[in-house]
Amino acid sequence: MSNYSYIGKNIKRPDAVNKVTGKAIFLDDIKIPNMLYAEILTPPYAHAKILSIDTSEAEKMEGVVKVVTGKNCKFTYGDCIKDRYPMAVDKVRYIGEAVAAVIADTPHNAKQAVKKIKVEYEKLPVYTDALDSLKDDAVLIHEKNGEYWHLPSYKPIPNTNIANYYVLKKGNFDEALKEAEVVVEGEFNTKFGSSSAIEPHGTIAWFHEDNTIEIWSSSICPAIIQDDIARTYGVPASNVRVHIPEIGGCFGYKSDVTIEQTVAYIASHMKGYPVKWVASRKEDYTSSLIGHGARIKMKIGAKRDGQLVFIQSKVYHSTGAYADTGVNITMAATHTVGVYEFPYALCEGYTVYTNTPPVGAFRGYGYQYAHLAVERLMDILARKLGMDKFELREKNYLRKDKKFATGEVFNEDYGDIKKCSDAIKNIIFEKEKPKEDENYFYGRGFAAVVKAPKGASNSSKGCYVKFNGDGSVSVNMGGAEVGQGLRTVIQQIAAETLKIDIEKIHCYTEIDTQYSPWEWQTIGSMFTVQGGRALIRACEKAIDKLLENASLALRVDKDMLEYDGEKIFLKHNPNIFVKIVDLVRGYMHEDGVTVGEVIQATSDARLPRYSNPDPETGMGNLGVSYTFGAQGCEIRIDKKTGEVIIDNFASAFDIGKVINPVQLRGQIVGGVMIGIGGTLYEELKFNKDGRLINPHFSSYRFPTIKEMPKKYEVVFIETPESIGPYGARGIGEHPVLGVAPAILNAIYDAIGVDLYEVPISKEKMLELIKDKTKEKAGV
Amino acid sequence: MEKINFKVNGVLKTVEIEGYESLLDILREKFNLTGTKRGCDDGSCGACTVIVNGEAVKSCIFSAKKVDNAEVITIEGLAKNGELHPIQKAMIDSGAVQCGYCTPGIIMELYSLFNKNLDVDEEQIIEALSKHLCRCTGYESILDGAKLAQKYLKEK
Ligand code: FES
Ligand code: FES
Repeated sequence: MSNYSYIGKNIKRPDAVNKVTGKAIFLDDIKIPNMLYAEILTPPYAHAKILSIDTSEAEKMEGVVKVVTGKNCKFTYGDCIKDRYPMAVDKVRYIGEAVAAVIADTPHNAKQAVKKIKVEYEKLPVYTDALDSLKDDAVLIHEKNGEYWHLPSYKPIPNTNIANYYVLKKGNFDEALKEAEVVVEGEFNTKFGSSSAIEPHGTIAWFHEDNTIEIWSSSICPAIIQDDIARTYGVPASNVRVHIPEIGGCFGYKSDVTIEQTVAYIASHMKGYPVKWVASRKEDYTSSLIGHGARIKMKIGAKRDGQLVFIQSKVYHSTGAYADTGVNITMAATHTVGVYEFPYALCEGYTVYTNTPPVGAFRGYGYQYAHLAVERLMDILARKLGMDKFELREKNYLRKDKKFATGEVFNEDYGDIKKCSDAIKNIIFEKEKPKEDENYFYGRGFAAVVKAPKGASNSSKGCYVKFNGDGSVSVNMGGAEVGQGLRTVIQQIAAETLKIDIEKIHCYTEIDTQYSPWEWQTIGSMFTVQGGRALIRACEKAIDKLLENASLALRVDKDMLEYDGEKIFLKHNPNIFVKIVDLVRGYMHEDGVTVGEVIQATSDARLPRYSNPDPETGMGNLGVSYTFGAQGCEIRIDKKTGEVIIDNFASAFDIGKVINPVQLRGQIVGGVMIGIGGTLYEELKFNKDGRLINPHFSSYRFPTIKEMPKKYEVVFIETPESIGPYGARGIGEHPVLGVAPAILNAIYDAIGVDLYEVPISKEKMLELIKDKTKEKAGV
Repeated sequence: MEKINFKVNGVLKTVEIEGYESLLDILREKFNLTGTKRGCDDGSCGACTVIVNGEAVKSCIFSAKKVDNAEVITIEGLAKNGELHPIQKAMIDSGAVQCGYCTPGIIMELYSLFNKNLDVDEEQIIEALSKHLCRCTGYESILDGAKLAQKYLKEK
């Protein structure tokens, strides 16, 4: 066992006191003198031409200072595909899109005035499902598809609604079909959902007269916003200052540039005034980013002895009216094939325009759709082969020298899926399953999972470490704290590495691009691995500088010295030393002459050798840092209500090194609960006109404490990761990945019905049970 | 416009209100008591929970008019003399705070619950907490925090 002072300890969050006392400042809590408020008009149609907009009545209303339309908007924006308009120009593509906005002195006055704007539309056909917008006679949602700027690796197909086509090819697929002896297949569907943080998304934009621009946003991507706004308005990025206050949960949809460009566009019409827009709960659903909407047709081929041969899939992703934020999710869902080695793969992904709100990141980033398909098919394949489901899986688990579908070679330090799988097998499957009784069917299900960050190859996280005069240390980084607890992790890693009392380590509390080190964006469960590594580097640099100063002070070579957090001493004679506090501002000799550097250090860290996909095969170093895990559940299905009750939900992850057990458990059970919501309860429902019929917490009902599993079990496996700090890996998204397949596999175990779609409501369950009972009775 | 008087965290306030304003609106907009959060617009998340005359209410759907002469306590009124309230302490100690956006509402709910009866059982605690949505924690640590708060309060 290691002797860490802080790693592996339940250190309390540094931000908790502010949060329990109500002092933590979130976006909507910010007030600026002279602030104005925007209200946005959205269309009644999901796809329509704008014929005319009459703002004259609205302009006459109390408190109104300006009414803005998209008529003169000359730009589109986007990080991957520049297909987004900050405000509709000549057509609308989803209900929730900005058509016009009122800027007024109070939110109430803005709301009243926006109702007075009159717009004439000409309706166009509406598609809410990729399969419909892919039909030959479908009208184009983007006439300019293919003309928008996009990253070089994307392939939009002009004159179709396909915003991107991606294919992953491993091996000669004709051979695959010949070699396989048994094939299983299924069509899976993960319906639309929403990250639904309790804090709605919001932004304040302020265009100053000196051509600087300030933005406040509840976003996790300040640097992306900075670059994007600078490009749009033709100012140096250094003129754009982005502030990130506390964020009330993210789960994906506050990443990328979303509402910031719209609010900035509105505010650009009122130079000199800060303009604030905060989504209502309804707008948070209709006008920011939603999640999922992915259909996958998948086939798996194997030998009769269970050796896997190939995987083939087609992903049809309804990414909504704009594809910029969805395209990478389709790709992730396409190149993800789970924890197994497949000698052959042919996986195609279609990112498809639909007349629904744009799809963006939602915890799991597409990996959950592929896991649903793969892990259900593995159970089905085991049945077909008459094999034990664990035996089949174990035969094919990725291990040393096996290859991922992307071509990356598995390294032992990537983690141990077998250990995770064994842990769940022990917890869930070793004991006798209860027999069906009067009230309930009983079932147990399993799923194995793996995920790597989906990032940019130049994604990095910066760090600035400063020693203060009293020997305490301030750490400044660009990572967005959304509740995941990165501030605690930073304190723990800094204290451990610097050997300093954790009470003396201060972690930054907000992000401000004027002072914060550069970080690409805080996404992809990457902060601990990348940020932690950057922090260790900065700490080590600082220690090295202290040693330099000590060498000047003690007039001895640096390599003769040792650092212990309080002092630097001669290795062979610890009685000769200098205190750290006497070195941090340089070392001052008795006569006042001062030598050496002030102790502050910067660093950054990226994922080593992370690459873009090869344009031909779609393969590449698209993972680099993986976290493997396994999940399982024991469920009961209530025969009268159809309700699925989760008696136990167990998760085992190879986390590499546990940094903070309580926080880690919180991340895992929180993720499991989001997974349960998506499997049993949560669906954003659009009618055929593209109208979202449940844009409220009361109708988009995610689990309350009453739906909590009767028991959560969490197991940590620790196979050290070589690039992570102290061997740690990422975990933020992984806990959702196996939930849907584990529950659906358990439902099969309980009632013998294979399900392919989530969510599965209790009404639907009840119907299935009735059919089942009829079948049994031979009706 | 209508004038109302009421006490917030022990301090007497007089304020002019519009008919459409909710208690949440005036707490946040007029008194800058932004610790009370807005998460929805239909009373379904509990983030805006405050205490009115001892009862936990959802201030977003509680008309400002109704607090005339009432006694209101918000999250800002809990810590006294620089000391956290035992419920606040318990939520921290149990790891129940992640993003913290649901936290003030949940603390106020528990404040009213335990003030009325410190001997509530787990089922009653769950019933009270079921009025609140939390997207981060999966509720396990919140339930632990509530039980720990009960213990701290009993020890006091
Ligand atoms: S803000 Fe009041 S219940 Fe959601
Ligand atoms: S802690 Fe984030 S919503 Fe509860």
